[in-house]
Amino acid sequence: MATLNLNALGKTYPGGVTAASDVSAEISDGEFVVLVGPSGCGKSTILRMIAGLETITTGQLDIDGSRVNDREPGERDIAMVFQNYALYPHMSVRKNMEYGLKNEGLPKAQIAERISEAARTLRLEGYLDRKPRQLSGGQRQRVAMGRAIVRQPKVFLFDEPLSNLDAKLRTELRAELKALHHRLGATFIYVTHDQVEAMSLADRIIIMNAGRVEQIGTPMDLYLRPATRFVAEFIGSPSMNMLEGRIGADRASLSFDSAPPLSLRGDLPGVEGQRIALGVRPEHLDLAGDSAGRIDLSVRFVEQLGADTVVHGAVSGAEVPLAVRLAGVQRHETGTVLPLSYAPGNLHLFDADSGRRLEVEAG
Amino acid sequence: MVENRPILNFVTHAVLILGVLFLCFPVWMALVASTHGPDALSKSPIPLWFGGQGWDNYTQLLSAGLPAAGGVPIGMMMLNSLIMALVITFGKIAISIISAYAIVYFRFPFRMAFFWMIFLTLMLPVEVRILPTFDVVTKLGMLNTYAGLTIPLIASATATFLFRQFFLTIPDELVEAARIDRAGPVRFFIDILLPMSRTNIAALFIILFIYGWNQYLWPLLVTTDEALYTVVMGIQRMVNSGESLPVWHFVMGTAVLGMIPPVVVVVAMQKLFVKGLVESEK
Ligand SMILES: Nc1ncnc2c1ncn2[C@@H]1O[C@H](COP(=O)(O)OP(=O)(O)O)[C@@H](O)[C@H]1O
Ligand SMILES: [Mg+2]
Repeated sequence: MATLNLNALGKTYPGGVTAASDVSAEISDGEFVVLVGPSGCGKSTILRMIAGLETITTGQLDIDGSRVNDREPGERDIAMVFQNYALYPHMSVRKNMEYGLKNEGLPKAQIAERISEAARTLRLEGYLDRKPRQLSGGQRQRVAMGRAIVRQPKVFLFDEPLSNLDAKLRTELRAELKALHHRLGATFIYVTHDQVEAMSLADRIIIMNAGRVEQIGTPMDLYLRPATRFVAEFIGSPSMNMLEGRIGADRASLSFDSAPPLSLRGDLPGVEGQRIALGVRPEHLDLAGDSAGRIDLSVRFVEQLGADTVVHGAVSGAEVPLAVRLAGVQRHETGTVLPLSYAPGNLHLFDADSGRRLEVEAG
Repeated sequence: MVENRPILNFVTHAVLILGVLFLCFPVWMALVASTHGPDALSKSPIPLWFGGQGWDNYTQLLSAGLPAAGGVPIGMMMLNSLIMALVITFGKIAISIISAYAIVYFRFPFRMAFFWMIFLTLMLPVEVRILPTFDVVTKLGMLNTYAGLTIPLIASATATFLFRQFFLTIPDELVEAARIDRAGPVRFFIDILLPMSRTNIAALFIILFIYGWNQYLWPLLVTTDEALYTVVMGIQRMVNSGESLPVWHFVMGTAVLGMIPPVVVVVAMQKLFVKGLVESEK
């Protein structure tokens, strides 16, 4: 049980690479926070600074109100699960889980009790005397989780724990992790590059790009009101359509370089001629009845996913890529033009230069 | 390529058996010779089958030794050889694994300089530095001691290098997991690094034991006291003892006895070694 306070954390590696800068966040007790971002954006660096495996170059880290910058990993009351399991290969499953507790000097009876409970939770009872190499990937990762659970730490840290597993196991273990979080009620900090994993697990997501925090919020905050163009394109699959153009003279239309202007309902923020990016999610486009706002999509190819159909193409008459997600099974030939509609509330506007979100003034 | 043709089978087996016979013949001759009297070997034809003197020869060798070669019992020499080989083996393994640990896992000033210094000693085996080393040992008063016999042979760059390469293959996450599990540097070394290195240690043990057991030049230089003679030296002294003809039956008996401990080590450790190879850790 713990609250964490990340106060302008920054990390510059000895070689001069600045992997993270000015990362601030408050994580409350029992929260499941996911750090997400493309690979190389500094997620692991942040997590490792929290764990104490990496020194903190700038800023301050508090756990439960006290500064822990200079504490050893073993003294921070955290446990960590790694992508490649990091089990001690020469020790049995039981020994792997025992090791940290023995080093803490816990009495034998208590150790045995915690291990049998963790083994029950993780369905590892039959495997306690096996060596890690005799287990499958999913089982190994459960042992690694067991090793963390038995410590009963204040904070659980996970660094892409499911990335080495196949898709089916990943979904299974994701559910187990979520259940585990419910049962333990502990603070979880979880790193992944997979936005689906982030959306499905997190109470709150910290989304990072190039060492900086782009946005912190609930999955729905990020989905419905992305603060930057980066967030808008990172969250959701297929990713959000972006149409770059200039604000028209009437401040209600968007003019493109090589396509007829698009008229929008309501006033666009900003000044005439300003370059902006207009975003709309593929699932928020629909075949036009006669609702307001129309875009014509010329079809290039179609992905049939069963539950829905993703049609890829371009804005008719322009080379701007556009995708739409339609419910159910649908057939559309390459080359046909589909008239699409959208609800104005589902449009997102971003400044083309800074990437910041611009609020649409409803009209 | 796995083929199963009778003629090919026959040929390959014949070649293998010939090779084995060729390799084993000298050993066989040594065994046979050690069971004959002093004269049998200086006459032709040389006997190819055991004689009746085996018991007498070996009891004399083990208990009394040869008057002409100083009268040191072979049992005594075997013990000296064993002590020397074991001290060298354990010393080399201990020093090299600890120095490799320091070089791989600790950041200290001039770390790489130290590594290269250790590496350079590969170019300086005992034979090359024998005079200065002898001088140092003399001045330290270590002539005719077990310390003088073993310590100069212990420093080992090869083994350090081997352990370093192995440690570099251990993922960093394992070290980090141990840090989170509150294992300090000593705990990590004893609980994790040592057990993970056991195959490497077993392989080195075989090589180094034989290296130590077969030392010849160095013991010859630093020991004049008969109580410190080793088996390999003993054989040499028997062959060259005085004017009389070499006592081949005793020489061969000593050689046979001298072969036993390395064979035992190879057979015993090979099991562990092969087991380690088969159960490769992932
Ligand atoms: N030990 C290190 N030394 C130098 N640079 C590093 C080190 N670890 C990571 N980096 C760099 O820091 C950046 C962020 O890395 P990381 O935090 O591992 O990213 P992520 O986990 O988001 O993929 C990368 O550019 C990476 O190359
Ligand atoms: Mg990472």
